[in-house]
Amino acid sequence: MLEPKVVLFLASVLFCCGVYGVLSRRHLIMMLMSLELMLNAINIMLVTFSRHWAGKGAGLVGAHSGQFFTLMVMAVAAAEVGIGLAFIVAIYRRKHTADADAAAELKG
Amino acid sequence: MEVVFWLSFVVTLLGAAMLVTQKHAVYALLGLLIAFFGSAGVFLALDAPFVAVSQILIYAGALAVMFLFVLMFTDTRTEEDKGLPGAIGSRAVFDPATASSAKKKKKGEEKPHPLSGLVMPKPMAVVVSLSLLVCMVVAIMKLPSSYNAFGELPSVQGATVREGEPAPNYDTKSPRHVKQPDGSLLDVPRHVRYGETAAVSHTIFEGFPLAFEVVSLLIFAAVLGAVLLARRHLAGIPGTQDTAKEQEHA
Repeated sequence: MLEPKVVLFLASVLFCCGVYGVLSRRHLIMMLMSLELMLNAINIMLVTFSRHWAGKGAGLVGAHSGQFFTLMVMAVAAAEVGIGLAFIVAIYRRKHTADADAAAELKG
Repeated sequence: MEVVFWLSFVVTLLGAAMLVTQKHAVYALLGLLIAFFGSAGVFLALDAPFVAVSQILIYAGALAVMFLFVLMFTDTRTEEDKGLPGAIGSRAVFDPATASSAKKKKKGEEKPHPLSGLVMPKPMAVVVSLSLLVCMVVAIMKLPSSYNAFGELPSVQGATVREGEPAPNYDTKSPRHVKQPDGSLLDVPRHVRYGETAAVSHTIFEGFPLAFEVVSLLIFAAVLGAVLLARRHLAGIPGTQDTAKEQEHA
């Protein structure tokens, strides 16, 4: 029998990979990609929690709320990536680099 | 289901490792894609097939392509490796002379303080993320053992249902109208099984319809914002003209 804590462990390893990527990568796009990995780890956690910790007596909505939240996180992540990539293109046009330190000033 | 889970466990971890270790941006993107497919497998093993399919459609289908487009628009080299043999996407052909001169220039320059920029030095990032991992694992260990073991599903009726037995039925709020022989309509409760698409759709439209609509508004705003941000003249680059003005001149 598979312990649901193993799934949570997988998700936390993924999350920490994402944290490492965001902290150590210089390229803005790579930072955004690592951010996506972190969101993905949280999605796995949400589904696991609602699947295994929903409790007896949770109705239809309660038992599936984790899946619903996951779908919402996906939608928000898609919106975030759209805006983030547009920002990166705008920064690249100005600074001719996508280095994180180039965008640190937030000033033309 | 366990086979699916362990397979996707390995695939996901491999993809994540590829994402953080690969220096070439396109290979790192490939790692991210692999991790996304792996987590779709994890969702499948967790009785969330709809989430798994949307994961592949949205992340692997749409986001990865968007990332790839922007990788091609921009120079994937950073200040660190400017002049060195660039990552994929850099148009400059590797020239040993310029590379060595860049190295010399780097040596001559005064090295900035490692914590002066936004980017953390790698050993420090490893320490931070590993300590975060330790915290999370300790928290997971302290969780109460699950109410529902693997293979058991949360049930409305109070009794858990084992895997292989008929799945629990969830009553939805919208009954099915069955036509009686005399022409009248009889309301029969509609049942769905755990995790199937109908159950997710009932959750969305019975449980959180407002959130669903608000998210559609958010995506609309994001699309508008992305179009505005990426417009050429709004970036205010010196030397570039408004596209409308350019058309006038032409």
